[in-house]
Amino acid sequence: MKIQNGFTHLAKTAIADFKRNKVRTILTSLGIMIGVMSVVLLIALGLGLKNYIQEQFESLGANLVVIMPGSGFSGEGGGSFGPGFVGGIEFDEKDLRSLQGIAGVDYVVPLFFKTALIEAGSEKEGGYIEATNEEAFEVLNLELLEGEAFTKSDVARKAKVVVLGYVVAEKLFGDPADGVGRTVRVGNQRFKVIGVNKKKGDPEMDNSAIIPYKTSFGGLNPDKTFFTIYLGVALEEDIPFVKEKAKETLLKRYDETEFSVTEQAEILSTINQIFSIINSVLVAIGSISLIVGGIGIMNIMYASVTERTKEIGIRRAVGATEQDILNQFLTESVILSVFGGVAGLALASLIVLGIRVFFPASINLLSVVIALVISSAIGVFFGVFPAKRAAKLPPIEAIRYE
Amino acid sequence: MFCMIKLQDVSKSYYLGEEEVKAVHNVSLEIKEKEYISILGSSGSGKSTLMYLIGLLEHPSSGKILLEGKDVSHFSDEKLSTIRNNHVGFVFQSFNLINKFTVFENVLLPTRYAKVKIDFSPQKRANELLKRLGIYERKDFFPNKISGGEQQRVAIVRALLMKPKIILADEPTGNLDTKTGDEILDVLEDLNKDVGVTVVLVTHEKIVADRTKRKIYIKDGEIVDKYL
Repeated sequence: MKIQNGFTHLAKTAIADFKRNKVRTILTSLGIMIGVMSVVLLIALGLGLKNYIQEQFESLGANLVVIMPGSGFSGEGGGSFGPGFVGGIEFDEKDLRSLQGIAGVDYVVPLFFKTALIEAGSEKEGGYIEATNEEAFEVLNLELLEGEAFTKSDVARKAKVVVLGYVVAEKLFGDPADGVGRTVRVGNQRFKVIGVNKKKGDPEMDNSAIIPYKTSFGGLNPDKTFFTIYLGVALEEDIPFVKEKAKETLLKRYDETEFSVTEQAEILSTINQIFSIINSVLVAIGSISLIVGGIGIMNIMYASVTERTKEIGIRRAVGATEQDILNQFLTESVILSVFGGVAGLALASLIVLGIRVFFPASINLLSVVIALVISSAIGVFFGVFPAKRAAKLPPIEAIRYE
Repeated sequence: MFCMIKLQDVSKSYYLGEEEVKAVHNVSLEIKEKEYISILGSSGSGKSTLMYLIGLLEHPSSGKILLEGKDVSHFSDEKLSTIRNNHVGFVFQSFNLINKFTVFENVLLPTRYAKVKIDFSPQKRANELLKRLGIYERKDFFPNKISGGEQQRVAIVRALLMKPKIILADEPTGNLDTKTGDEILDVLEDLNKDVGVTVVLVTHEKIVADRTKRKIYIKDGEIVDKYL
């Protein structure tokens, strides 16, 4: 006969015990389940958000240098948060012209951005004005669903034309493609819709009215300023030189801390940094419930030791060592805890599947590993004290316990 | 006859708060192979403690316990547990079966703590013993569904499973009516006679002790000449 000395026997005994105390088992595991679920969900949401923002930046196209007010994404290879992360100064046409003069710069794209009411007939929709130039369509990877983009000459002659985002066009006209050729009012000025963009999945771009920046100077942007300037660089190896020159140029007008010149790689690494901090904070918050769950397990295990004192005594009498008893109770707490962990993981996966409809949350292998490792670790950590108490019970007292 | 267990000046004390309670005091005794003896004493005399010392469930406070000539008084928990598993079978007054296990699972419990390879089929042996003690039909019952006498038989089968050298029975008839108690004593007696297992019967009833071949009287933790 094969003696079931090992884990199989311990696990079988433990599971048989849990079946006898179903409600208690489920309630005890619930703490861990909620803990693991919240940690996995928070990681999933954090990762989703990070991926989403990364994608947005990556869709901007390569070889891009971004100039923003504030010290924002400054510093080499990652950067740090200085005072005035964003905000402060605004750029103007003079800056555009001087930046255009830098060797290696292929194109310069200014961006003015504000919220606005976009109206067509009696339909009104809140959206954004994005005032820029004809190169923006390439830089921002915008593809037209219908109609065409505005041209350099449209910008020069301050044409009252607009390219609408997919969602805003859909809300105003039903079928987005129907918008082309119609007239909309943006901030109380009339614009002819010459194009509608394909859906981008970015609520900002999909709800925007993209107009020539010079047109916006007429009243929508009375200060004639820009929030961001993109520099398209023809060759990747020119990027450091272009950054240096752009800084030099802007330093003539602004203080070093008032603007930042960054390339996409830096922005991405800063985003990564921000999100790893956010993620750690979220996980730390989620871990509180894991600890509470662990305490719940410890509590039940102590109760179980007391309840089964006589059983422990009997097992000792027939030859169980202290270690055998310790293993038995430790196995029970680990199984309880891992059961909670797996249930929490399953629940979190279901929720993530639901969320994915409108948010790119994702569960990765890391979350699965973390869920299982952490729940077993909790089982061991919070189970070891009750198990030690069980193991150290004097056999005779245990047998006599009523 | 071969001396199986020898106690030399064994004492066992407990502390109740500050106060030292000498449960067993300077006890020396020998139990030989295949003996059928009783330890007779009134309640609180220390007879159960003495039995647990013999059964290696307790370390003595002082003195030596020799098992087949070897001093085991200071053996580790693991070694003593292995000896209990292989050589000692306990039978208790309150049967001490685990209620969540079936009769058969209870009987097989000692195999789960076997640290050395078992050279026989425990299931087969369990079945044989259950048949021998007339409770084979009860093997799939839970202990609380069978009578006290049957439970005690199950406990005896469990004690016998690992082919022990000694059975220690602590008031085995204490929770049973006279008739059933007598039947249990018959079983123990037969086992001693037929199987040759040493039986130590701990009791406070002289009539029970009278059935054994040798009586050890204990009073206030010490061995005395006669039962008072």
